[in-house]
Amino acid sequence: MKRDYQDIITGALVLAAGGFIAAYAASNYDLGTLRRMGAGAFPFGVGVVLFVLGLLIGIPAFFRGGTFQTISVRPAVAVLGGIVVFALLVRPFGLIPAVCGLILAASIAEKTFRPVAIAGVCATMAVLIFLIFRLALNLPLAMFRWPF
Amino acid sequence: MGVIDNLLLGLGVALTLTNLFYCFAGVFMGTLIGVIPGIGALAAISMLFPITFHLDPTAALIMLAGIWYGTAYGGSTASILLNIPGTTSSAVTCLDGYPMSRQGRGGVALLMTTVASFIGGSIGVVLLMLFAPIIADYALEFGSADYFSLMLLGLVAASTITDSSAVKGLAMVTLGVGFGLVGTDIYSGTQRFTFEVIELGDGISLVALAMGVFGVAEVISSIGKVDATTIDPESVKFKAMRPTRTDLRRSWMPIARGSTLGSFFGTLPGTGPAIASFMSYALEKQVSSRPEEFGKGAIEGVVGPESANNAADQTAFIPTLSLGIPGSPTMALMLGALMIHGINPGPRLLTEQPEMFWGLIMSFWIGNLFLLILNIPLIGIWVRLLQVPYHMMFPAVLAFIAIGSYSVHNSVLDVWMVVAFGAFGVGMRLLKLPAAPLLLGFVLGPMMEEHFRRAMLLSRGDFATFVERPISGIVLGITVIFLIYAVYSAFQVSKPKRAKAEPA
Repeated sequence: MKRDYQDIITGALVLAAGGFIAAYAASNYDLGTLRRMGAGAFPFGVGVVLFVLGLLIGIPAFFRGGTFQTISVRPAVAVLGGIVVFALLVRPFGLIPAVCGLILAASIAEKTFRPVAIAGVCATMAVLIFLIFRLALNLPLAMFRWPF
Repeated sequence: MGVIDNLLLGLGVALTLTNLFYCFAGVFMGTLIGVIPGIGALAAISMLFPITFHLDPTAALIMLAGIWYGTAYGGSTASILLNIPGTTSSAVTCLDGYPMSRQGRGGVALLMTTVASFIGGSIGVVLLMLFAPIIADYALEFGSADYFSLMLLGLVAASTITDSSAVKGLAMVTLGVGFGLVGTDIYSGTQRFTFEVIELGDGISLVALAMGVFGVAEVISSIGKVDATTIDPESVKFKAMRPTRTDLRRSWMPIARGSTLGSFFGTLPGTGPAIASFMSYALEKQVSSRPEEFGKGAIEGVVGPESANNAADQTAFIPTLSLGIPGSPTMALMLGALMIHGINPGPRLLTEQPEMFWGLIMSFWIGNLFLLILNIPLIGIWVRLLQVPYHMMFPAVLAFIAIGSYSVHNSVLDVWMVVAFGAFGVGMRLLKLPAAPLLLGFVLGPMMEEHFRRAMLLSRGDFATFVERPISGIVLGITVIFLIYAVYSAFQVSKPKRAKAEPA
């Protein structure tokens, strides 16, 4: 028997999300009455609808075949990692070091390591950021900072 | 006030030096980002809109609108020259635009696209001027129940008409509403789903959500897929752009038909530019005396859809500005940006802030003129930009995403949310879940809840109010039809394959 496992998983996740929202809303917030609804009523409804949609996605998937979507892990990890690096560096070190860190981390997405290109992008971005965010928009963002 | 007075008022606002500057800046940056392969309109707007937070609302709105149609133009450049659609609507442009550029006629395709877009856009603007005030006038009588039903229809229509499955669209729209719940409940002040994080009391940041799900996820999926070496620089020289007499003769009817179709579909909730351009393409193929040329570089297949999607882009502002109900994710983003500026779009916008409304509309025209100037003589610059290797481009795009989300509130938490939503966006692609409905639900969710609760309060807890009010009743009836279709299609065992396009 063929089954569309991808959609079964999708359905299960949607169902779980709906169940969680409904249960959390019902147990933590005031549902109120129909006339004067509490903070939990609408979230409860949203959760129930999501739960039902999870069933509608998952159940038909048991009766048909399907394929799995693939995605390359390397770019995903590198790109998300780059933003993580930015989030970690921006407060203690300022904008420009954080951006250079991001660029360096994100370039792991490509299999070939290109030091010259990376340095070029870092330099260009440093200048651009200074021009746009400091000179043109005059935002109160620290460009460099030294925490020690 | 007559139409002429309004126009003059609008021109007065749009032609001030500051507003002209921001209009130009928006259009320029929109084109710049739109040209970058793999970055669609949604990703581009979410990347750029933190910049507008520091402007006054009218200038911000003008700039945002400029960014928006700038991206649409830029996106068609990438589609024609590289066959990489940045948005669903430009996926149609690829069909005949790319073959044209393979035949060395890329320049002609670009020029005709620009002209077609300008005409389509202009027609859209005229309709917007004529109809938005009428609808707004009418909408002053709408009650909360009517608003709730209209929003529900918008959400259901937008999520069932997607290129993946209808139930998945509905699930994502509902999940979006769920994300919109996070924060302080407006009626009781209860902190909902904040999990003790104080900063979440203001809700999830729209910028972080949009940038994560669209920006980051799009960058990830474009890495390793973009190759700009196939462009022939000769074909896009200014001289090579001149269309032949035959090109012109074959183009004007498709442009007229495309603009009409686009204007109509732009106003409907959930359809918008993508559907309009698909419809226009299908129509042109149908009425053409040479249907066999379609897909091999027929100019009708480029200009028709392009004029359609630009007309739709403009008329999509009709429900957004006059009712406060966005029909498409892009409009939802615009609406979200407006609300961040403290403006509540809706029928009262026209009477309370006519300078802003008419100024914006006149700026559409000026923006479209700027685009004409930017795109025809300066096309060389955009082509050069397309040739920058992607391994240098994407880190720069990411840097702007990170800084953009950080600069809105100077909050590191927002950057972490971009990471979280980026991962979420990748997961959604993995499970073939459409991302656009998520954003629409997120923006409309809080408004829906407000209207729903108010309607229930007014009706003393009686659900019948949604059916008894004529507008609400009719709208709900249409919504039910969409829902029946969605459930029916979920249970079809073998679903016919529809034209696949990248979600915008």
